[in-house]
Amino acid sequence: MSEKATQKLVETYRGAQSALPGAGGWLARRRETAIDAFTQTGLPHRRLEEWKYTDLRQVLEKAILVPAPAHDGALVLPELHSATAFSAIDRYVLVFVNGVYQPGLSQLAHLSKGAELCALAEVLHEQWAKDIVERRFDDARQAEDIVDLNTALMSDGACLRIRKGVKLDKPLHLFFLGADAGASHTRNLILLENEAEATIFETHMGEVASFADIVTDVALGEGAKLNHVKLQDESSEAIHLSTMRTRLAASSKLSSFTLTLGCGVSRGQNFVLFSGEGAEANVDGAYALKGKQHLDQFCVIDHAVPGCTSHTLFKGVLDGASEGVFQGKVVVRPQAQKTDGRQMTHALLLSRDAAMNAKPELEIYADDVQCAHGSTVGELSKDAIFYLRSRGIPEAEARRLLVLAFLDETLELAPHEDARDALKLLVSDWFSEAGL
Amino acid sequence: MAAVKETVETVREAEKYKYGFFTDIESEKAPLGLTEDTVRFISAKKNEPAWLLEWRLDAFRRWLTLSEPTWAKVTYPPIDFQDAYYYSAPKQSAKLESLDEVDPKLLETYEKLGIPLTEQKMLAGVAVDAVFDSVSVVTTFKEKLAEAGVIFCPMSEAVKNHPELVKKYLGSVVPTSDNFYATLNSAVFSEGSFVYIPEGVRCPMELSTYFRINEAQTGQFERTLIIADKGSYVSYLEGCTAPQRDENQLHAAVVELVALEDAEIKYSTVQNWFPGDEDGKGGVYNFVTKRGDCRGKNSKISWTQVETGSAITWKYPSCILRGDNSRGEFYSIAISNGHQQVDSGTKMIHLGRNTSSRIISKGISAGQSSNTYRGLVSVHRKAENVRNFTQCDSLLIGDRCSAHTVPYIETKNPTAVLEHEATTSKISEDQLFYCMQRGIGEEEAVALIVNGFCRDVLQQLPMEFAVEAQKLVGISLEGSVG
Amino acid sequence: MLEIKNLHVTVDGKEILKGIDLDIGAGEVHAIMGPNGSGKSTLSYVLAGRDGYEVTKGSVRFKGKDLLDMSVDERAAAGVFLAFQYPLEIPGVTTMNFLKTALNAQRKARGEEELDAVRFLKLVREKAKPLNVTDDMLKRALNVGYSGGEKKRAEVLQMSLLEPSLAVLDETDSGLDIDALKTVAEGVNALRSPERAMIVITHYQRLLDYIVPDVVHVLSNGRIVKTGGKELAHELEKSGYAGYGADAA
Repeated sequence: MSEKATQKLVETYRGAQSALPGAGGWLARRRETAIDAFTQTGLPHRRLEEWKYTDLRQVLEKAILVPAPAHDGALVLPELHSATAFSAIDRYVLVFVNGVYQPGLSQLAHLSKGAELCALAEVLHEQWAKDIVERRFDDARQAEDIVDLNTALMSDGACLRIRKGVKLDKPLHLFFLGADAGASHTRNLILLENEAEATIFETHMGEVASFADIVTDVALGEGAKLNHVKLQDESSEAIHLSTMRTRLAASSKLSSFTLTLGCGVSRGQNFVLFSGEGAEANVDGAYALKGKQHLDQFCVIDHAVPGCTSHTLFKGVLDGASEGVFQGKVVVRPQAQKTDGRQMTHALLLSRDAAMNAKPELEIYADDVQCAHGSTVGELSKDAIFYLRSRGIPEAEARRLLVLAFLDETLELAPHEDARDALKLLVSDWFSEAGL
Repeated sequence: MAAVKETVETVREAEKYKYGFFTDIESEKAPLGLTEDTVRFISAKKNEPAWLLEWRLDAFRRWLTLSEPTWAKVTYPPIDFQDAYYYSAPKQSAKLESLDEVDPKLLETYEKLGIPLTEQKMLAGVAVDAVFDSVSVVTTFKEKLAEAGVIFCPMSEAVKNHPELVKKYLGSVVPTSDNFYATLNSAVFSEGSFVYIPEGVRCPMELSTYFRINEAQTGQFERTLIIADKGSYVSYLEGCTAPQRDENQLHAAVVELVALEDAEIKYSTVQNWFPGDEDGKGGVYNFVTKRGDCRGKNSKISWTQVETGSAITWKYPSCILRGDNSRGEFYSIAISNGHQQVDSGTKMIHLGRNTSSRIISKGISAGQSSNTYRGLVSVHRKAENVRNFTQCDSLLIGDRCSAHTVPYIETKNPTAVLEHEATTSKISEDQLFYCMQRGIGEEEAVALIVNGFCRDVLQQLPMEFAVEAQKLVGISLEGSVG
Repeated sequence: MLEIKNLHVTVDGKEILKGIDLDIGAGEVHAIMGPNGSGKSTLSYVLAGRDGYEVTKGSVRFKGKDLLDMSVDERAAAGVFLAFQYPLEIPGVTTMNFLKTALNAQRKARGEEELDAVRFLKLVREKAKPLNVTDDMLKRALNVGYSGGEKKRAEVLQMSLLEPSLAVLDETDSGLDIDALKTVAEGVNALRSPERAMIVITHYQRLLDYIVPDVVHVLSNGRIVKTGGKELAHELEKSGYAGYGADAA
């Protein structure tokens, strides 16, 4: 633990320890082991295979790592279309400012029966919360190690439990706003019991030098179904580190979609673990980056049991001097026969200075499987531009049309129809604003 | 019925690794272990000039500061680098004037390996350099090659006769500091082939080196250097075998290729080192650094490999595409059976404009083996209009083996078009059934289907070796079904 | 309408067109025939303005303006339409969206009012019907998964919708069976008008049985070596291109 950022974070923990939720209970002990592990490994750096393209140690060196100040004033939304993208959809809203839950700004009236929703501190006495927090996913350790930091410092978050067979009647929208510079450590816990269903939207915005460290732990019971749409539109000063870990019981289904339209340095990790047969996971995303934005999508799908299906498709366009990273891994364990695992990533480079790194991995220990991955990187097809222009479409318009069509394939996979339309509009706006 | 089965199994046993015999021949070795003195000993044995000794010692000192790479997906007990011999040579008169003087036992060895070296049996159109442990035994067709101006000789001879070429190019593609094993090789390399094709010459025949590890506890550290001068062409093939032994033998070779303007080098490998027995005991550790430098405009380097042997293979034949319009190719078949572990692939480093590369990798895993493709395609900022196509297909036979794909795709130039595809599948029961219903035995059917799966790569091999390679594919997979 | 004078074109440093002279008036249909490699497709791409085709000498005037001075989309808006030999597949862009974008871009460039969705839809359906282009095809991505015949019909639909003054049909017959050929030819014939000129590029005379040209030119080795009436096509059918100094067809 020689380097400064790690040291600062550990000091922050020591200072805040007694004020963090769960003091004196099981979580306090769990925090201790987590901080010890974090102290040992330190922040990940580029010499670790899984952090090869995003050196978190370097990124956080100059970041503000002390907690952002408490904020309970009126909500001032950034003047971005993203802020109101889901507004027209009838939904429950939970607002977090600087990582702290704001009951006054949230809309939670008449939550369906069988659904329980509360802030982190209120759920710690529940066994299910403990079970979720204590669990580990074994694969890609170096990528998962960073969760220790969150476990030690998590201070707030949304906790949702849906009882057996209950379907949440409206989408739940988790809105995270960074209003002041500083760090926040958020932990969301989501449990969908057998046959339960829910749709969750997440919005992450901020126009400050924030460091948002978010872990979302999800457990899906048998036959449960979770739709998840995440929208990220942060300023180029923001550092975003998020990890979503989903465990799927038999016949359950996860459909998760992430759209990133703005970030400073962002690392989005997605761990999917199949623990029961016949489950399905779709982890997809789109991104459009410009300036010096850096986005690292890291995705591990662990087929630990037979007969599960996973599909991943990430598509993005890179303008300016932005840099995109996609690291994916499909693991098929020895007993996981009849696995269907597919992983695709495609990127378009729109400028001289943009760069893309892709590493789609397959790790297969069973023979009766269908696994494939593909990756392409390139620029817009000159032939396609010519064809469009020969029909009278001006070049800029032709480019825009082709780029939107390129992204459309993945946007179509966003699992909620109204949200999908909202995202498509945002992407279209992004291009108008970027002057493309 | 039982009796028939037994016979079949005996036959199988015998065929499993037919190159596993040992030649009882007196040899001269360096003292056990590795110190500066070992390096001096090897250099002295070869009567090397002072600059080369210094070069070796420099590498040795650097090697002491390095640690073994651990990123590959292979596991093995720690290697005791002090418990090996770094030089071994069959005792015979130092300088051979003709084949008649070669120890008949050696000739017999190569005969058994299917590489006849005697004049009357020589493979027409293929010049062979036979390397036995640490020294070259004989090089065939030397005169004919000399007529064309082609230099094809053991590395030690090249150091004496063509020092200016060796000095200029040795270590220019794989520097002594490159990696743990390449650095070790730089310190203790004993033999290998040297090839120089002069400007505008199309090498009149296939060149081939045949490597054989014979002595126990002996590492083999050959160093091959091939230079194709402007507008020249050469096709080169290497083959490798070793006796069946309980211990693990280390093979850490370095191959450097340099293609100047408009030159083309085609390098093919059929690697069949002893893979270890059915319990995973013994076998060769094949830790090899192979790299080609397309230094000139319009140059081309093509690697083709058929990897069926070795307990562990750690090998990434690569191309540095420096010259504008240069092209790199990598065609690979890697078969693993029993307890073999393969971590192999390629690197295509695109530096020049309009450079293109193509990667076709076919991995077949059977038994309890592990087979990993690891590859890098990298496009530098100034490399305009780069094209790459990569296809990695894995075939699994049985449910105890594994197949992995680890591609890295990095680009900093928007004009690049990079495509990567990978699939994993098993031999379809329907295909097997169909073949067997037509009277083809199961193992033969598997060999047939696997050969079909590998077709794109087998086609790249020189005619003389394609047939051998196809047979090898069948043999390596014996015992993998049923 | 179109005046080509002494047109020389090189591709990758190699001269493909070596002095073409061609004069096409409004209402005329000219066929350009020739063996493979004679430069037929090059001529069509030069007229459309594709990159990589360098005009080293000569001029092309279209409706009195210098065509070579205009960008690809300006030419389209001015009324030049190229029906591609191999129409491109553009995943993700629906045919409907593509047609609307193209039509409105051209109208806008000509200072005309853009069509709203309702009027556009009505217009497309009207034009699509005689060509057997179904609603389903219009909803699919442009040319993706279309059969050879569907692609060519879609090209003719685009032409019918965009109403160009000069249509260049590049090997529109390639890959079509006789029924598909008839449908396409009917579509093209319906567009013949006194205001519109057409260039029909083809290797075979077959297409010209259905789209009867006013003038036939034989292109060989980058030059027009013979010009005649529609009977010239029949002559070629019998004798082949052997007499025209190029590889026999």
